[in-house]
Amino acid sequence: MQSANMLLRKTVRSSVLPFAAQHRMQKDLFPLSRALSLSLCLKQDKSCEPSEKLDLDEWKKVMKSGLQEEASETVSEPKELSSLAAARETLEMWRLAGRAVPENICEEELKTFMECPSKSAKKKYLKYLHLKELQKKNDKRKMDEKRERRLEAQNQASKTDETKKSSFVCVWSSTMDKAYNWRAAQSMIFGQPLVFDMSYEKEMSVREVTNTVRQIVLSESCNRRSVDPFHIHFCNFKDDSLYHREFIKQYREAWGKLLITVTDQCYTEIFPKDKLIYLTADSPKVMKTFDHDKIYIVGSMVDKSIKTGVSLARAKRLGLETAALPLDKYLLWSTGAKNLTLDQMMHILLTLKDTADWKKALEFVPKRKYCGFVSKPVKELKKTLDLINILKHGKGREEVQKQFAKSYPKKYKLK
Amino acid sequence: MALFSQTSQQGFQALLWKCHMFWPVSRCRQLFAASFSVPNREKTNYLSFMTSSSTALPVDPKETDVLPTKKRSEIDCKEGKGWDEETKEIPEGKFRFSSSLGAAKKWSMSHVQSRHKFSNVQPPEKPLQAEEWNKLREDFQSPEIFEEVMLNSMIRCNSPIDVAKSLLTHLAKRNGDIAYNVLVKYLTLCVQQRQVSEIRDVYDIMKVRFKILESGAYNLLIRGLSNSDQWRMALTLLEEVKKIMIPSRTCYESCIKAASRHQEMKLAFELYDEMLAKDVIPTLDVLQSFFDYSRGMKDAELQKELFGILLYLRENQIYPHKTFMRSIKLWFESIPGGNWRGRLTNIKDSGQCPVCNHQLEDSNLTEEEYSNLSERIVRDVIHGTDTFRKTSPQEFEAFQTFVENRLPFDIVIDGLNVSHIKSRKMQCENLFDAVNCLAKENARLLVLGRKHMLINSSNWKREIMKEMQNKADFFFAENISEDDAFLLYATLRSGKHCKFVTRDFLRDHKACLPDSLTRHLFRKWQRGHQIVFFPSAEGRSMKFLPAFHYDCVVQTTGDTWHIPYKDVFEEKYSYQVPRKWLCIQQK
Repeated sequence: MQSANMLLRKTVRSSVLPFAAQHRMQKDLFPLSRALSLSLCLKQDKSCEPSEKLDLDEWKKVMKSGLQEEASETVSEPKELSSLAAARETLEMWRLAGRAVPENICEEELKTFMECPSKSAKKKYLKYLHLKELQKKNDKRKMDEKRERRLEAQNQASKTDETKKSSFVCVWSSTMDKAYNWRAAQSMIFGQPLVFDMSYEKEMSVREVTNTVRQIVLSESCNRRSVDPFHIHFCNFKDDSLYHREFIKQYREAWGKLLITVTDQCYTEIFPKDKLIYLTADSPKVMKTFDHDKIYIVGSMVDKSIKTGVSLARAKRLGLETAALPLDKYLLWSTGAKNLTLDQMMHILLTLKDTADWKKALEFVPKRKYCGFVSKPVKELKKTLDLINILKHGKGREEVQKQFAKSYPKKYKLK
Repeated sequence: MALFSQTSQQGFQALLWKCHMFWPVSRCRQLFAASFSVPNREKTNYLSFMTSSSTALPVDPKETDVLPTKKRSEIDCKEGKGWDEETKEIPEGKFRFSSSLGAAKKWSMSHVQSRHKFSNVQPPEKPLQAEEWNKLREDFQSPEIFEEVMLNSMIRCNSPIDVAKSLLTHLAKRNGDIAYNVLVKYLTLCVQQRQVSEIRDVYDIMKVRFKILESGAYNLLIRGLSNSDQWRMALTLLEEVKKIMIPSRTCYESCIKAASRHQEMKLAFELYDEMLAKDVIPTLDVLQSFFDYSRGMKDAELQKELFGILLYLRENQIYPHKTFMRSIKLWFESIPGGNWRGRLTNIKDSGQCPVCNHQLEDSNLTEEEYSNLSERIVRDVIHGTDTFRKTSPQEFEAFQTFVENRLPFDIVIDGLNVSHIKSRKMQCENLFDAVNCLAKENARLLVLGRKHMLINSSNWKREIMKEMQNKADFFFAENISEDDAFLLYATLRSGKHCKFVTRDFLRDHKACLPDSLTRHLFRKWQRGHQIVFFPSAEGRSMKFLPAFHYDCVVQTTGDTWHIPYKDVFEEKYSYQVPRKWLCIQQK
């Protein structure tokens, strides 16, 4: 406190605050916090001469004078704007106002933006574009940095100029690709079929379809890299559907060369009904073991707003057997929906096929969704789970019970 | 032995709970901070929407009626719509009639968040010289957003306008230009302090500098001008906004309030009608201001308009809050020669008003509404996009024939829901009690269940099930089917006298109905036909809340008005209805 007072006294004396000195200000006009923030600049800044009186409205003059030239230009422009140009203007203003708006926007995106049904939809779309733009910029920056580093490394290498001898043949990725493709080709003949049901286009928005296709591309690639790949079928696949267009966007010319079976037929027409099992999180039956003679069906659908029972309804309609992954049985579920992404599903099925080890397979469930793997049935561990949750989230008991009830169906209820 | 282990478990837990309390504060904080991505948002922080339909208006649950209305009109109102508001930050100390949702969303923007962490920056108290600003800017941790952060903190501390001006002057000198977002922030400060001439200056500069402005700035300008004696300028601005976009409801609100404050009621109502025509939903605040400013006027036209507002409340099943209700009461009582008298009361279960003995409207739907609702329940709730989602065509057909052969029922019971009433008891016993309790009055009962109830188990004893089936008709759906949808269908098919029993609020089924009109119908029907069960303390008896006999909406007979209102403090979901009423009679 004393030191602070000293400091204050110093600042008052230092004649940096002319008005303070002139008007004989009380020291306590400067609360401590402010004195600290100002003190730095005051201590060092003794050269500032307080002769000039501040003209507070000077900024207006500056603005207006700068405007005179511009104003003459703007007047000559036609008043009426086309709706596209008007939208562009609005976006520009929003950007200036500091909202999450992309800097550059193409015609197509602008049209999409204008077709958004509500304000919040517009806002979400713009934010999405904005984030995409940021990501692109960051990627570009990283690429440039990488390139610079590589150039430096090359320079270094050329200076040292040592030819390293390696006993290994360098295996290029193209060679690897060939090997993988051989495997995939083998699976096309001998592999266990795995069906992606492509009949959900109507239930999804454009963005959801895009996400679905991206997830399928990921699944396909990890299937190709596995030791014993599935023979992937895309069933109910309509030509020139949104799915199709998105796949072509993703795969480009590789789409024609993929080692999978794509058909517009339904899976019930290709395979015997009693061998089909539809995997859906809503199924009342729980999968116990992975069956190598069965044909599993995965619904290719991303539902951002959870639509329960859509795929179960499909299976019911066709009278197929259904199954759900035994997530409750093996995992202490904490949060999140129990529907997994398609690539996670693929990883799990591949692991099961190779090892039949649930613990290994369920490693692919996102870690945020569960707090641990269990060997005992969950209901015996309910108390422990409560405790974990209470300690982890600091929630009240009722809250935890509610959470538990949401994560686990009624059959686990303690009496 | 088992008992012992359980108690020890519980004891252990209790101990841990206690430990939780003994942790030092910092440790607790760490724990809470570590609580992953679970947003610690209060569940109770819902909008108090009177209905969850889009026509509802948000009312701030924290709003007290301690504030006199005069003062309230001066308070900055802010609709938490997020979209129009990102450019202006309202200081925390102010009252906000905002939806908590919007406010919560607002901070989800990452760049806003990064700015938010500088909330501890103290603005200077006196205008500073350019060099001093420079110095401050250099010492600031991220100089590129220094002006924004500084202006935000000025807005928060309500600094004198001269300080902000000195900052702008410094900026103009340095860059020869001032960014739009800085201008908007300065404008916010001016609006906050009612510096009308400054607002006008900023507007002039903006108009020349930019071709169009965005909604945030327009909102601010209109609000700033409407609170001054130059409020007509706000109206011209509103016209300007209309050319570019649909004005936000805050714009309309400011203009309507300004017009009614200056007794230009006709103009205010024109704006109000225009607002409704554009599907911009008025805030309760606007509606209240109409009543506040029309006090004591004798004007048949005006009276008709205000009755129109009351009917708007009726149409949309909106319940005014206490202060709004008081405004309505005062307005009625102030009508010269009207002889209106308002009293607050609670309506009895019979639906009779204790003050004027008037019988309130019953909750029955008209024939047309009834058939419309039945049709929609079948189409949207049961079938929806795919009949297989909730049932299957065969099953639904079987159910239909079952119901048709046994019509009409008096009471339809959701068996599984009722069976969970007392957790200590066997589920079939709970159901048995309920059936016995309801069967006394010779009513025809239908109990809906699922097939697993037929399998003899610890919870479902076969003998008891047999006994029950003598007293009521039973229908068992598939285990993966939705029994609630059947409940609705059976009740509606049986006719208007039929009631149903469940503790479910049926929110998910209401949400299946695509338009708000049908949703309102559904709620009205639900209120009039749902019986809710409670277990009571002693042994076997059950208590139940009977269905409402009267309809809980604003209603009139010409010389009486009955207006349900709510205390803002109590939380209200769309299935809850207020119990308090304002009864207005004409002597």
